[in-house]
Amino acid sequence: MSTETAKGLRQPKRANEALFRTLGVEPVPDDKKVAEAVRHLDEFRQKLRSFVVIMENCVKCGLCAENCHTYLGTKDPNNIPAGRADLIRKAYKRYFTPQGRLFGPLVGAEELTLETLEKWYSYFYQCSECRRCSHTCPFGLDTAEITMVGRQILFWLGIGPQLHTATAGAILKTGNHMGLTKAGIIDTLEFLAEEIEEDYEGLKVDLPVDKPESDILYVPSSADFMLNPNTLKGAGMFFKWVGANWTISSRITEAGNFGYLMDQTRIQREMVTRLYEECTKLGIKKIVWGECGHGWRATKMYVRTYSDLPGVETIPLTHIHDEAAALIESGQLKLDPTRNSKRITLHDPCNYVRACGHCDQMRVIMRAVTTNFVEMTPNRERNFCCGGGSGILFDDPAMYEYRILASNKKAEQVRETGAEVLCAPCSICKAQLYPMVKEHKLGVEVVGLIDLVGHALVFPEE
Amino acid sequence: MEQFVGQIMPYFTVAIFLGGVTWRIWRWMIPRIVHNITLSPFPGTWTAAVTWWVWQIAIFWNILKFDRALWIGAFPFHAALIAIIGGHLMGIYTLGLQFHMIAPLLVTADLSVWLSDLLGTTMGLVFLVALLYLLYRRFTVEKVRAISSTSDFLHLFLLLGIAGLGNYMRLAPDAHMTYLEARTFLTGLFTFNPVALPHNAFFMWHFLLVQCLMIIFPFSKLMHVFGFFWMRWMVNRPYKEWAPGMPGAKVQLSK
Ligand code: HEM
Ligand code: SF4
Ligand code: SF4
Repeated sequence: MSTETAKGLRQPKRANEALFRTLGVEPVPDDKKVAEAVRHLDEFRQKLRSFVVIMENCVKCGLCAENCHTYLGTKDPNNIPAGRADLIRKAYKRYFTPQGRLFGPLVGAEELTLETLEKWYSYFYQCSECRRCSHTCPFGLDTAEITMVGRQILFWLGIGPQLHTATAGAILKTGNHMGLTKAGIIDTLEFLAEEIEEDYEGLKVDLPVDKPESDILYVPSSADFMLNPNTLKGAGMFFKWVGANWTISSRITEAGNFGYLMDQTRIQREMVTRLYEECTKLGIKKIVWGECGHGWRATKMYVRTYSDLPGVETIPLTHIHDEAAALIESGQLKLDPTRNSKRITLHDPCNYVRACGHCDQMRVIMRAVTTNFVEMTPNRERNFCCGGGSGILFDDPAMYEYRILASNKKAEQVRETGAEVLCAPCSICKAQLYPMVKEHKLGVEVVGLIDLVGHALVFPEE
Repeated sequence: MEQFVGQIMPYFTVAIFLGGVTWRIWRWMIPRIVHNITLSPFPGTWTAAVTWWVWQIAIFWNILKFDRALWIGAFPFHAALIAIIGGHLMGIYTLGLQFHMIAPLLVTADLSVWLSDLLGTTMGLVFLVALLYLLYRRFTVEKVRAISSTSDFLHLFLLLGIAGLGNYMRLAPDAHMTYLEARTFLTGLFTFNPVALPHNAFFMWHFLLVQCLMIIFPFSKLMHVFGFFWMRWMVNRPYKEWAPGMPGAKVQLSK
């Protein structure tokens, strides 16, 4: 396997072969890669309708170009959504259409080569699967679907970034991305409970783990244990306020799903299976999801077709924002918005607004818990990606530079609002926005949304 | 040559066109919609979803909203194209009396023919200009050229040829064709009694190029006409949400 970065291509650091073997994948030798890739394409062609329809219906109008932040940031034609899809479409035409077999390059058909596979690795890991192309395309053609096919095939060939592959490995071991053990989880939560007690005048909040006979299973992002503790605290305070009988499970302490981002079969299914197994074990009546964009999509939109367990049809599934917004709208939460009085703007996580119908609830909450909320433009389902979507949070120099370029548009949007605080209720957005704020010298604070709820909640004792 | 183009080839053309389109759509139907990939905001009902599709087609809403410069070309292009296809069917079949037949009290027979000519000429010119604009754009706008292959240009040249010849026949007196001549010829084809092509080289070429277009159609991006519906069927459909409310909590949602 070639491990060196192909010439002139921006590529993230690769996972080694041993790591792939722990995930059940034997890396394919170079001389077999192309044939294997074509075989997989053929399978997808017969299995996945979105793939075929997208492959066969692009009119090359170019509308999607300036609607994709990656092209805006790099001006690289392979980052035009249609250009990115063409990395597969050219081979698709060559092998699976009569016009491509007969006329080749005249109709844009091309043999698949190792060099093209190198380009797949580069450009499918620059796409953030944000679906803005699909939202804007006259036909709704969704290049994120093509990126997913590309990443999946690369995974089966034994090609993938260290970041994603190692994270996927952590899932199989611990059920979360950060590799947190049960002891570590309990430790952190105890520490956070103490912090709440200190910061909120002795407020005692229980942050239970694997508590049997619980009604609610809360699934936080594992990044919240390290990078965004206020989000965890906010959720804990919210559950305390409403008096929920809730728990976190140590076997699925992960709202995200890196399986969805590179291996939508084995690894994505592992998370779904764990989720419903835990529900049965802990007597769960409802699942409430934490702040994570891709993870919420991977769950809300995919569990029905991925779970092998019957719970998927009987155990309701909502996002913590759904719950908070519903209580706010019915006037039942007591909140003091003056505690969040700085000028604040909201970054709409792509997966929420374009794939999960999750948009108004954030505004209901925002208006109830802050006093100085300004929208950025464009917003809601037209919003641009932060540049880190689909976990492309690489820190090797070339890719780090790319991340900053890909966040140009976002930085410009945030600057225009003049906000002091940037609310981004998604772990990957947060992880991307911290460096964006630094490199673009925006000087804003990045927070989650449920953090603000926790901070604004007025407890009876107070 | 004339006999082949006018009396034999059309049957092959139509067979390839219909067979090809069916085959392509057949291939889209073999794979399944594996996951729910609908785009949000989700339409509440199927009626709302279909209304959204129709809205998209009626004014090319996405193009208008996200790429004004494309809309200026693409919308008149398509509007004129639909008008032209309709005009060919109705104008030739009724010999220009279509408006008289629709509203006999309002439109006299003469007025109908006059309207038909006027509309035909206008739409033909609009189509040509829009086409030139799209072609110019494909050559000059870097992002569009970067994703184009030779065939993307050739389609446009082919359309340019068809439209150019069509307009020439309308506007140049020596090349003019009457509706009746066209109808006689087409009636022959439709009733499987093909008659000779009218003696007009421009018409022969117009007719030949249209057949080329129909042959290419199923094997090209022109299938987007159908693809639109197949894609929208996947990405714009209703979705049913779970209701909020936390079982067992002290604070219960008041209804
Ligand atoms: C359903 C909605 C439709 C949409 C959104 C749509 C959109 C488009 C777009 C964006 C282009 C590219 C223009 C360019 O070259 O830059 C195009 C080209 C074209 N469309 Fe459509 N179209 C639709 C339906 C139709 C229909 C019904 C027809 C014919 C009856 C048609 C025929 C064509 C033709 C002939 C071209 C030129 C192809 C080329 O550039 O080679 N389209 N369309
Ligand atoms: S907007 Fe859609 S049809 Fe146009 S080039 Fe992009 S993917 Fe193709
Ligand atoms: S999903 Fe987002 S990043 Fe990927 S091609 Fe589409 S717009 Fe660009």
